[in-house]
Amino acid sequence: MSTASPNARLVSLTVNGRPVARLAAPRTHLADFLREGELLTGTHLGCEQGVCGACTLLLDGEPVRGCLAYAVACEGRAVTTIEGLDQDETAARLREAFTAEHALQCGFCTPGMLISARDVVERLPDADDARVRVEMSGNLCRCTGYVGIVKAIRRVLDDRKAG
Amino acid sequence: MFGVGARVRRKEDDRLLRGRGRFVADIALVGMRELAFVRSPVAHARILSFDIPEQVRRQVFTWQDLEPAGVRPIRAASGLPGFKVSEQPPLAADKVRFAGEPIAVTVAATRAEAEDIASQVIAEFDELPPNVDMLAAAAPGAPCVHEHWSDNIFLETRVGQSFEKDVAAAPVRISRSIRTQRQCIVPLEGKGLVAHWDRQAEQLVLYTATQMPHIVRSGLSECLGLPLEAIRVIAPDVGGGFGWKGLLQPEEVVAAWLCLHLGCPLRWMEDRREHLVAAANAREHHYEITAYADADGRLLGVDADAWVDAGAYSIYPFSACLEAAQVGSILPGPYDFPHYRCRTFSVCTNKPPIVPFRGVARANVCFAMEQIIDAIAAAVGREAWEVRLLNLVPPEKMPFDNITGKHFDSGDYPESLRRAVAGIDLASVRRRQLQGEPDGRLVGVGFATYCEQGAHGTAVYHGWGIPMVPGYEQVQARITADGGLELRAGIQSHGQGMETSFAQVAHEVLGIPLERIRLVHGDTGLTPYSTGTWGSRSMVMAGGAVATACRRLADRLRRIAAHLLQARLEDVTLSGGMLQSGQADITIAEIARTWYLAPQLLPADVDPGGLEITAGYKPKSDHGTFSYATHAAVVAVDAEVGLVEILDYLVVEDAGTMVNPAIVEGQIFGGVAQGIGTALYECSPYDDAGQPMASTLMDYLLPGFTEVPAIRIEHMETPSPYTEFGVKGLGEGGVIAPSAVLCNAINDALKARGAVVTDQPVTPARILAALRNARAEPPP
Amino acid sequence: MKPVDFDYVKPTTLAAAVDLLAQGNGSVKAVAGAQSLGPMLNLRLVQPELLVDVTAIPELLGTREEAERIVIGAGVTHARLEDGDTSERTQAVLAQIASGIAYRAVRNRGTIGGSLAHADPAADWLVCTTALGAELLLVGTAGQRTVSAAEFVVGGFETMLAPDELIVEVRVPRLSAGSRWGYYKLCRKRGEFADASAAVLVDDARGFYRCVIGATSGRPIVLDDSRPLSELAGAAAVAEALSPTALAGDAFAIQVHAAAVRRAVRAATA
Ligand SMILES: Cc1cc2nc3c(=O)[nH]c(=O)nc-3n(C[C@H](O)[C@H](O)[C@H](O)COP(=O)(O)OP(=O)(O)OC[C@H]3O[C@@H](n4cnc5c(N)ncnc54)[C@H](O)[C@@H]3O)c2cc1C
Ligand code: FES
Ligand code: FES
Repeated sequence: MSTASPNARLVSLTVNGRPVARLAAPRTHLADFLREGELLTGTHLGCEQGVCGACTLLLDGEPVRGCLAYAVACEGRAVTTIEGLDQDETAARLREAFTAEHALQCGFCTPGMLISARDVVERLPDADDARVRVEMSGNLCRCTGYVGIVKAIRRVLDDRKAG
Repeated sequence: MFGVGARVRRKEDDRLLRGRGRFVADIALVGMRELAFVRSPVAHARILSFDIPEQVRRQVFTWQDLEPAGVRPIRAASGLPGFKVSEQPPLAADKVRFAGEPIAVTVAATRAEAEDIASQVIAEFDELPPNVDMLAAAAPGAPCVHEHWSDNIFLETRVGQSFEKDVAAAPVRISRSIRTQRQCIVPLEGKGLVAHWDRQAEQLVLYTATQMPHIVRSGLSECLGLPLEAIRVIAPDVGGGFGWKGLLQPEEVVAAWLCLHLGCPLRWMEDRREHLVAAANAREHHYEITAYADADGRLLGVDADAWVDAGAYSIYPFSACLEAAQVGSILPGPYDFPHYRCRTFSVCTNKPPIVPFRGVARANVCFAMEQIIDAIAAAVGREAWEVRLLNLVPPEKMPFDNITGKHFDSGDYPESLRRAVAGIDLASVRRRQLQGEPDGRLVGVGFATYCEQGAHGTAVYHGWGIPMVPGYEQVQARITADGGLELRAGIQSHGQGMETSFAQVAHEVLGIPLERIRLVHGDTGLTPYSTGTWGSRSMVMAGGAVATACRRLADRLRRIAAHLLQARLEDVTLSGGMLQSGQADITIAEIARTWYLAPQLLPADVDPGGLEITAGYKPKSDHGTFSYATHAAVVAVDAEVGLVEILDYLVVEDAGTMVNPAIVEGQIFGGVAQGIGTALYECSPYDDAGQPMASTLMDYLLPGFTEVPAIRIEHMETPSPYTEFGVKGLGEGGVIAPSAVLCNAINDALKARGAVVTDQPVTPARILAALRNARAEPPP
Repeated sequence: MKPVDFDYVKPTTLAAAVDLLAQGNGSVKAVAGAQSLGPMLNLRLVQPELLVDVTAIPELLGTREEAERIVIGAGVTHARLEDGDTSERTQAVLAQIASGIAYRAVRNRGTIGGSLAHADPAADWLVCTTALGAELLLVGTAGQRTVSAAEFVVGGFETMLAPDELIVEVRVPRLSAGSRWGYYKLCRKRGEFADASAAVLVDDARGFYRCVIGATSGRPIVLDDSRPLSELAGAAAVAEALSPTALAGDAFAIQVHAAAVRRAVRAATA
């Protein structure tokens, strides 16, 4: 994370419910801000090109690419990373389903997957498998072939319907 | 319930699901600085000079700095006769041989600042004509990538003899030119490292995203001139490898030297652009194949020339020739036929060196061979699966030594095919084809059968004569004072779930609960030597060593138990973590407590090795294991725009005994997804100047959720006669067949229009071109 | 890779924003969602000295319903349009277009104005706003002007925006209830930019007919409005339309663009 720049400034955010103020150059994207500054290393970087989705985190509750959001541009907003979802009920169900369905191997894509999956589960409770696949298509996994991930999300959608 | 064969949940999941894994990028050390590499913008040139601004001069390093300090080029020779050795200075010396080759490194407090400096380093080049196409590079008169060579061939190999006379009367003769594209490996986590000098241990410590820490250590030792004990290589959590993390990287050598030179910890993270353009290439082959068959479709002979574009340098440890040379030995696939001849060429070009990508050579060979089988079937007017069935090695011939001396251990290859034909419901696909689709798409079905050697033995690798020869795989097992078990293995788990599956093996033998078993892996400081995780070997080899070590520990436990229970040794049994003799019993934990805390109670003749052991293991046969599978797919081809949808995908596989079926299936799903990428999407093209054209994941398309179908798997489970529990290697299997299956399925769909595709990836442009050509020349 | 060291401001008035852009001599870049600019910055393909974030300018942020048209602030995200009120015809069409762009995490940040200004020939809004007959309100230091989406784009990644101008509004004429819309894009992979695309609007009540070919490597091509749709759909017509572009003579491109037109027409006339 670059702080030595003459352009660096104090950036204030709420991170996982906690106020954070830290010097950052404007070129610092949110993922680096969190990883290097806050040591919240659960947000992974797989491309920094906006494609892979490994860096997906929540900005004011909505999933966004951590590598394409510059920290300065998020001044005053609330960021939630995978580490901030320990107590989240939907995320807990997803974690349980992910492990039951073997939806992760190396685990590098997993934090981004869970953030996107949580959004799908909460936003689209009626999604069928085809819709789940479309909605999840911005997250790449090189290990699992997606089969377990789709099953895990299905399981959580069904469980929530069942109450 | 939790031992071998159980579908247990993975021990590694919890930390990964909470974002609390520890990948190399997550490691921060006090005073750590970051590196950026300056890379050659041209494919082939002499470096005339560097222009480095004075104010950053001390933060920039080139070969002029490394060479006088004694750093040596990476050298990976093969002992095969005629192999030409390349030397790869980790920063280019006087010449660059591919666009993206590192030519200088910069150091700064942050990566961004290191890149700022890198952008100010200007090199002046005298450009040379690049070798971009392997066939042109192999032709006489092509400019040499390595000047002191006589041509651009790393190695030529020959297998078999000409057999024209024997097949002169063959009723079927099929010739095909087949191309497979250059691919990138793209684990979701790129390469990365943190290097520092541990002042207390007086050791260079390299945390690196690798599949083979011990081999990286050997390579570093050679390049840096440091003794092995002065180097410790640690692989933390690794975000996928697939071969890309199975070699010594030039960046590792540079960073290691520089951290010693500068006296501070250094980090380098490969970014996705570097990954795509400068390094992780694989799989670019060209085949000229002629096959002969009788009127039923029985193979009489296969005659092939194969070229592999190996790129500019020979990588450590696998060398530049492993891939092509393997083609020669595995092209016959799972088939039994009498005549075979194959010449292979490992061609040196001005492109990044190739790396053995999961299913190395096998995926390409399967693509080529299975197309040939389909073509023979078309020629004799039979269903392609019938022709496959006719040629597969039958179960009654197992174990079977094939035409290139491969020793197939066990299994029923034809049965996998029959089950695939039934499972994909061929008859209904044929009916559907006759009816036609409401949306006008063309439906096709394809099959491919392969067998795959895993857990390669000592002799083959000794035969290659490369810097690494796998011998006994060792594992250390230690029962702790409170009855837990620590396993230490030199392999590296990066998604394969070995922390779980090895625990299952140990549990099977000792009965210690899974949650009390821990695997330490990927650290040269803590684990026995191992060539690492590659070639579908870890479960067979290290898993076998876990079983062996645990059995020996069980013996020692029984001995102590016999003494404590006042029983005869032969009456003491171990089950469920409990040692019993008649009514009397004692837990492993109690014995452990005795060994560690109450040694006065131990028998006089107790084994002084105690509850800790290092055991080595090799399968009973040095030929490794052969798993096999038939894959089948139904596709719909949109002949207007060339898009392919996979309607159904079935794998019928046999990888021997499954330690954890969920992990087995995961490996297959993931492999198939990568194979779909090979078949339809992934390609790293180069222009005439040798410039890589795919530098982002927008250009290099990876299959995603909507491109990979709900793959189905049916298991067969024929144990290997040679391994612990009968397990076979399977990590690579899934990736081998998909490109063949999908190509065959697409050709089945297109056959109504007389069109054939032969090259991968099968893109919309290729499909439409095939259809246009078919229209231009109506079928005879 | 990481971007070059740039400075950043987030003005809260339109006037302040265009003033900043005017001072920059080209080394200043507007930024909205950064979903196109971000990758280019990260790859150092763009090396600005200053980024002017336009997402705090009130004029760019709202969506307004007017009798004849829907006015969308340039800073409105794809996701907001995707989540629009689909019971209304025009909004339903906009929602359908938006939902096909990239992925939700990208749509949550990416904006319609940014997409148009970026002018990737394969971008969805470029083709669709042209086919919908939309107009753009541009504001610069010299004042404001209105241009049609069709004329706004002058080439691949090239628009008529002056360095100090911003897109402020996208004005989409209201579709009549019986209007028919067809949009087809050929993507090798979900969410990636199209290899070919076409959009067709048939609005008898308004007497508005248009077919637009996208993903041409240059500006979207508006096919002659007066020709009947069935004729437009012919491969020959598409080949002719593509003849002045870089795709001229490219058999694959002509074939897939013709198919895209055919499919868009079919969707609009089904
Ligand atoms: C993985 C991925 C996939 C994508 N797939 C698609 C796709 O399928 N289809 C598609 O259409 N798009 C796609 N996009 C692009 C996406 O739609 C972007 O959101 C959009 O192109 C740019 O919008 P933005 O707000 O992010 O603009 P920015 O990236 O912030 O800016 C883009 C350009 O517009 C300029 N600009 C921004 N706002 C204004 C304004 N109000 N006035 C003047 N100039 C302005 C900027 O200076 C810059 O030059 C994809 C992006 C990604 C990362
Ligand atoms: S790292 Fe952000 S999308 Fe890949
Ligand atoms: S689990 Fe490895 S990338 Fe998804």
